Amino acid sequence: MTASTSVSASGDPSDNVVLRLVKAYPMEIILAVLVVLLIFTAPGFASVRNLLNVLRTGSMLGIIAFGMTAVIIAGEIDLSVGAGAALAGCLVAWICGALSDSLGGYPAALLGFVLALMIGFAVGFATGKFRQWFNVPTFITTLALFTALRGAANLLTGGFPLPTFPPGFDFFGGGYLFGIPFPVYIFLATFAAMHFLMNNTTFGRAVYAVGGNMEAARLSGIDIWWVKSMTLGLTGALTALSGTLIASQIGSGTGTTATGLELDVIAAVIIGGTSLFGGKGRIWGTLIGVLFLGCISNGMTLINVSEYWQYVVRGAIILGAVLLNQVLERSR
Amino acid sequence: MLDVAKDVSTAGDLAFHAVSKTYGATQALADFTHRFDAGRVHALMGKNGSGKSTLVKILAGVTRPSGGRIVIGGREREFHAPQDAFQAGIVTVHQELSLVPSLSIGENIFLGRLPKKSVLGIKSVDWERLHADASRLLTDMGLDLDSRQPVSTLSVGYQQVVEIAKAMSFNPRILLLDEPTSALATREVNQLFALVRRLRERGVTIIYITHRMNELFEICDTCTVLRDGELAGTIEMAEATADSIVEMMFGETAHAVRPTRREIDRSGEAVLELAEATRHGRFADVSFKLYRGEILGIAGLLGAGRTELMRSIFGADPLDDGMIRLDGKLVTGFTPEKMKLAGLGYTPENRKEVGLVQILPTHDNLCLASLSKIGTGGVISRAGEKPYVDRQIADLQIKAGDPMNPVSSLSGGNQQKVVIGNWLNTEPTVMFFDEPSRGVDVQAKRQIFEIIWRQAKQGLAALFVSTELEEVLEVADRILVMRAGRIVAEVDPTQTNLTDLYRLCMEEGKPE
Repeated sequence: MTASTSVSASGDPSDNVVLRLVKAYPMEIILAVLVVLLIFTAPGFASVRNLLNVLRTGSMLGIIAFGMTAVIIAGEIDLSVGAGAALAGCLVAWICGALSDSLGGYPAALLGFVLALMIGFAVGFATGKFRQWFNVPTFITTLALFTALRGAANLLTGGFPLPTFPPGFDFFGGGYLFGIPFPVYIFLATFAAMHFLMNNTTFGRAVYAVGGNMEAARLSGIDIWWVKSMTLGLTGALTALSGTLIASQIGSGTGTTATGLELDVIAAVIIGGTSLFGGKGRIWGTLIGVLFLGCISNGMTLINVSEYWQYVVRGAIILGAVLLNQVLERSR
Repeated sequence: MLDVAKDVSTAGDLAFHAVSKTYGATQALADFTHRFDAGRVHALMGKNGSGKSTLVKILAGVTRPSGGRIVIGGREREFHAPQDAFQAGIVTVHQELSLVPSLSIGENIFLGRLPKKSVLGIKSVDWERLHADASRLLTDMGLDLDSRQPVSTLSVGYQQVVEIAKAMSFNPRILLLDEPTSALATREVNQLFALVRRLRERGVTIIYITHRMNELFEICDTCTVLRDGELAGTIEMAEATADSIVEMMFGETAHAVRPTRREIDRSGEAVLELAEATRHGRFADVSFKLYRGEILGIAGLLGAGRTELMRSIFGADPLDDGMIRLDGKLVTGFTPEKMKLAGLGYTPENRKEVGLVQILPTHDNLCLASLSKIGTGGVISRAGEKPYVDRQIADLQIKAGDPMNPVSSLSGGNQQKVVIGNWLNTEPTVMFFDEPSRGVDVQAKRQIFEIIWRQAKQGLAALFVSTELEEVLEVADRILVMRAGRIVAEVDPTQTNLTDLYRLCMEEGKPE
């Protein structure tokens, strides 16, 4: 504490307060400015219905992004989450189609969901172990999974949407609870859980240490491969959760859903200030990143920016966020 | 370019006139005046801090002398950058190889200056000429190697030879070999020596740095010794003995200052017992016992296997054979996690790279090893960690400012204390200190030693490794001497001196 107070005392105080706020909360401030801008320029942005929709879409992305944050802080990457989400939805639908008659609709769906969670976790965990045993970078393994899981999803559905869910199942992805979309609760619960995990558990501390310096962490007696594999497994499970919600919302298991989702997830994490070099990042930052991406996409659609331009703008935002973080890092 | 000078002349004569170098208040080299004759192999000896590496750096153009003149072949030279030394005909071969393994021998030799040819106006590499030139150079040096062979297929010894061939392609007048044999097997050393002799016949001045006494007698013509930044003397190898050289290196050796330490009770059970521990190619048949409150020093030169031994015991590297008992209990399946739980701690030698997570706060770095101990049921908080952090900062007198600042902002000595504090928080029964004083200032060094003594007094058993033999003599209660991966002697630091210890660490000298 003493060091930071002495820094502020040395300069012009009024000038410094603003500057320090900007430096400490750059993305928060940019998000606030964006929201204010959109309220005045984008017709219908400020309506409750629209905002809830932004939140719903963001939730599907965000649930995975919190896991991805841990993966990236641990110094790894997962490119397979879009395909994984599709596979999870298809698996639930497929189990429903196969077992609804014998087990009943909801028990079958629950069985499918639990299976999807377990497979998601196992595949993620195995990705980490693969790195340990065969020294295959997770970039490569998850790139392979990116196509393989998508293929598996389509194999399950035969290439057509599987509308096999029991009646009322669309509540989980598309329904409202107390006026708020149901996935938002899951999103907030995931945020709280991941925030706690990363900040208040020995596991979370180990994730930062492993990503910051793998060898130093190992020599401190931390089981680095267990830590890395757990972050990947956790992300796999969260991906299955999100994939089930997406399938519920669209009412079927579809092999082609969530295409490109992995890039949006990684973008949200990076916009939130997490470093791809590992060891640095916050769950809170990812929350901001998710909201930012959601608002900008929604706002651009509302003011009729063409879809192609939207892609260009999003690309510029990702690059800009990284540059901003680098510049701020250097000025510290 | 490839015309190697055939006549033995004075073109390679290298003379220093009152060359000195100061770093701040430290005189690293003082009025060094000496002449290295062409066509001879000159050994350059001196313990750590003798000014040897300063001299090498000056000659390689890496640092500039504070005063004095350097004359090569009768012409005064001034080096502002490594290129200047290079242009004056000085080539240095370092201990670490600088070859690209996946490229061929020929490409490595001419890397950065590959011969080009022009085909239809497009410049491309002239492979024919490259390999012809390389082959000529290799044959010229008496080497039977295929220039097209990738370097990765060669043994370390031949890689070192290629490194020297590369150096020779610059046609140097002065060749500086900085511990070229430290990684080589005997047969490879012979190959290297054959090459050195050939170069000597061509009139190249060779300055040879080694830690192996027997090599001096085999390959060198003269031996120049530095001590405390000054020339201690030069001796013709024909007239030298191992003793006379070691005496020149150490001069009048005084006994190190040791605090009075209580007697170690070695009658009871050892805290750590090692029996015939072996890791192939690194160390073999190492056995020792370490008792409660004892500081056991391991003396040995660079590459003797000290660090490798400690890393294997700690579970950071594999152990091929042998048995370890901690508190009388047999240890199986070593990993750092398990050894930590069993009460072992290890502060690694290179703290910057592997001892600390530089981007994390001092606070976090002090708790890295003790996370599971501080946290209950996997839950941890900064407030819960704070007592542990504060205790180490106070006990070890760590000047950390705000502990939430990155540990990278601390000085070397304070970073080292953080590494130690991180482990003391696990309340270990045995600690391994690997080069704890490297790169820290004198005051921090004293403080670190006092920390080790204080912990030992409270019952901690410690292994202490340092390249500085003075420190081992000062800190340890008992010393094991390690040479080429084996324990070769056990000495009582109160009954020995620096000269004797150093002689034990060196490989056998010339038989008297």
